Amino acid sequence: MFRHNNDKDGLNIIIVGCGKVGRALVEQLSKEGHYITIIDKNSEKIQNLTNLYDIMGIVGNGASYSVQMEAGIEDADLIISVTDSDELNLLCCTVAKQVGDCSAIARVRTPDYSKEVSYLRDKLGLAMIINPELEAAKETARILYLPTALEVNSFAHGQAELIKIKVPEGNTIDGMTIAHLGRKIAPNILICAVERDGDVTIPAGDYTIQRGDIISFAASRKVAKQFLEDIGFKTNQVGNTMIIGGGKSTYYLAKLLMNMGIEVKIIESNRQKCEELSILLPKAIIINGDGTDEELLKEEGIETAESFVPLTGIDEENVMLTLYARKVSKAKVITKINRMTFKTVLNDLDLGSVIYPRYITSEAIVAYVRAKRASRGSDIETLYHIFDSKAEAIEFRIREESSVTDVCLANLSLKKNLLIAFINRNGKIIIPSGNDCIRVGDTVTIVTTHTGLKDIRDILS
Amino acid sequence: MNSSAIRFLLGHVLAIEGILLLLPAIVGAFYGENSGLIFLLVAAVCIILGLLMTRRRPESNVFYLKEGCVITALSWIVLSVFGCLPFVISRQIPSFTDALFETISGFTTTGASILNDIESLDRCMLFWRSFTHWIGGMGVLVFLLAIIPLSGGSNINLMRAESPGPSVGKLVPKVRHTARILYEIYFGLTVLEMILLIVGDMPVFDAVTTAFGTAGTGGFGIRNDSLMSYSLYLQWVVTIFMVLFGVNFNLYYLLLFGHVKKALALEEVRYYLLIIVVSVGVIFIQILDIFKSVGESLTHAFFQVASIITTTGFSTTDFDMWPETSKTILVLLMFIGACAGSTGGGIKVSRFVVLFKTIAKELNSYIHPKSIRKISIDGKPVEHEVIRSINVYFITFMVVFSTSIFLISLEGKDMVTNFTAVAATINNIGPGLELVGPTKNFSGFRDFQKHVLMFDMLAGRLELFPLLILFKPAVWKEMLSKKA
Repeated sequence: MFRHNNDKDGLNIIIVGCGKVGRALVEQLSKEGHYITIIDKNSEKIQNLTNLYDIMGIVGNGASYSVQMEAGIEDADLIISVTDSDELNLLCCTVAKQVGDCSAIARVRTPDYSKEVSYLRDKLGLAMIINPELEAAKETARILYLPTALEVNSFAHGQAELIKIKVPEGNTIDGMTIAHLGRKIAPNILICAVERDGDVTIPAGDYTIQRGDIISFAASRKVAKQFLEDIGFKTNQVGNTMIIGGGKSTYYLAKLLMNMGIEVKIIESNRQKCEELSILLPKAIIINGDGTDEELLKEEGIETAESFVPLTGIDEENVMLTLYARKVSKAKVITKINRMTFKTVLNDLDLGSVIYPRYITSEAIVAYVRAKRASRGSDIETLYHIFDSKAEAIEFRIREESSVTDVCLANLSLKKNLLIAFINRNGKIIIPSGNDCIRVGDTVTIVTTHTGLKDIRDILS
Repeated sequence: MNSSAIRFLLGHVLAIEGILLLLPAIVGAFYGENSGLIFLLVAAVCIILGLLMTRRRPESNVFYLKEGCVITALSWIVLSVFGCLPFVISRQIPSFTDALFETISGFTTTGASILNDIESLDRCMLFWRSFTHWIGGMGVLVFLLAIIPLSGGSNINLMRAESPGPSVGKLVPKVRHTARILYEIYFGLTVLEMILLIVGDMPVFDAVTTAFGTAGTGGFGIRNDSLMSYSLYLQWVVTIFMVLFGVNFNLYYLLLFGHVKKALALEEVRYYLLIIVVSVGVIFIQILDIFKSVGESLTHAFFQVASIITTTGFSTTDFDMWPETSKTILVLLMFIGACAGSTGGGIKVSRFVVLFKTIAKELNSYIHPKSIRKISIDGKPVEHEVIRSINVYFITFMVVFSTSIFLISLEGKDMVTNFTAVAATINNIGPGLELVGPTKNFSGFRDFQKHVLMFDMLAGRLELFPLLILFKPAVWKEMLSKKA
């Protein structure tokens, strides 16, 4: 009688480690109504989080059997281990797998293990191994591939992309309505969301784009490139890049970029790290020096670099370096923000592309959790947050006939601030118009500012 | 300060009180008493007021500990003010001060009465009087949390402000489910006691009200002589249930889920039982020659110890006539009180456990000045912050306690009366010694002294700070400045 047995009710989730990622996870998952227990060695962190969210906290070592028992591992559906230490995370999940019947997600980010991720995952029976640094590097690499974009997210397993750009002054689309844009320039792209002065809207046809707007559009990679060229953006991938700092993310990024044929130059002040990197990345140019030294940056050619990525461990330093780089060069700059939350201030600084590793990580996990819940009654395949969680892009799988299937989209009365971005029919991406309709077997991606949609029928008003 | 959330929750509290007031109205109808209609009237007023206050949703659902405290304190005051209206309107307790005293005594599960002739009250009045114990025992805001879905994580601040004990934890991740589990255990135990009492040939009305009094560890009887005239079996049932309701409810939760080992290892409960056994032993030996048989002495010793340590306040005999040592033990037990997380009052066993461990640690640091030692309970280290707050609680308790004694003494009654009157109210027990002894009551005090004691009862039930925070002018300034 005391169990919460309602299947719509949410999952029992244990989160070990309350660092940046743990916090972001708690924030999102508790909002979605899951039963969350957090474990951390630091009682102050536990205290803070339990005061803010409706969750239970336990102080202790998450890998210990008795602590896990206290957290209720026997009834847990999922354990997510995101402590600082890779080994502890793996141990937590291994212990949990032995005790309870639950799925396990571990964060593993040391390059030593990165090649063995799939082996580890299979042998330990984990649901997911996430590597924020690697994910952040992948996202950075995607942007450098399409340097005029602020952000590029892959969708429908890489077949479509959600691309974010900022409309510059005097651009052809400045002052154009969405409907006009669709008719005249690009019938195959879809403007999903517009951010203006910090507010996110899902635009209707009569919405007028202004300079300074940040727009997100969905399209296949080829079409996107064509569209950007049509409206006068440069679309060549960069030829070289300069990275400041030689941490884990640098390693992952450099490796990806070199595979794309981009020249990489890394500036790192710690000699030992430089030596390690030079062994791991023999083709990269490794400079031993202070990346915040103006003279050194000039000497190494910041003014002529095509792209510039500050990846030091200190957010403030990254922001300063970005501002400097934007001043002295025309390079595409991508800033990594680990910790700071002053999103509104950062927006005003005009930093260009900003990536937040912790959100990338928590998004991947939230997408998994939603999918896991989906096996218990809803049809969500994946879920992405766009515009810093102000809007969501949700992929639904259509399993059965319902009130939304086989009806022309023009005849569906959709919720406000909601848009059907694309339909994936047998691997073919359709950017829908009013005459298209949803069929059983499709995967439908919608973009919305509403949160908590669980079923495709929730899109109706 | 989020004053719209305060208004909203107060409205809910009022509406709930209105609904609860319907129960005595039904009792009144059952016994054909006209005074039952008064409950209907007051219930209607409460519900209408409550609905008006909850019509507009608060602008923001987020509130912090300060709001939690303010809501809790105001709720209890509002509850008491409206809860005493039936007594006043029916003229069964004509004075407003007296009625308020009686109602606060009920909600705070004190059980101190100003009635000289309890049996002259209508049945529905007696029912309401005992029912307030049951409502106040687990707390009305915890009830609110259990039935109304409040979004956001701020709810824990409500529970923290209302539930007794140095640190309030959850049984399960969600506040709502925790509150529901607590009420389910509470309700189950209460019904079990009613059944056992009815089986022992107690009239149903007596069984219900006595069970309410025991469950909330309140102590209002419906007879002038409390429980003296009931059979031995009934007295034992009540004794055992008093002890059970004084136990930390975590124990029952652990037992229900088969964690027997963990349940038995709860340090606080062990000390609680140890204190009971030792006290019963000493008193039993002392009063052997007062009563006719060994059995009777044991019954009275056990009953009185259980009644006082759980802060219930029922009595089966006039313990004011007992030897000095026994009386002293009982007065000391008043301060110790029940376990944290139970329905009982007092300073709480767990606080004393920590305090004594702190003393041991301090002594140790005289012998080994550089030694490091963490205080732990149930094998877990107690955070410095918790220890600090327990120390401050103890000091604040003493300040409130001595100030109250001083104010009471202005009336010129004897020292023992003053001392035990304050001790019995601030610890939510009920009877004290001498003029407020088990066969007497609080009607002899003047209005001013009654107000002081009312404050003590509320302060004791809410564990001081939620009530004291209302005396900080900054709180009011903040609350009224952003009036929506």
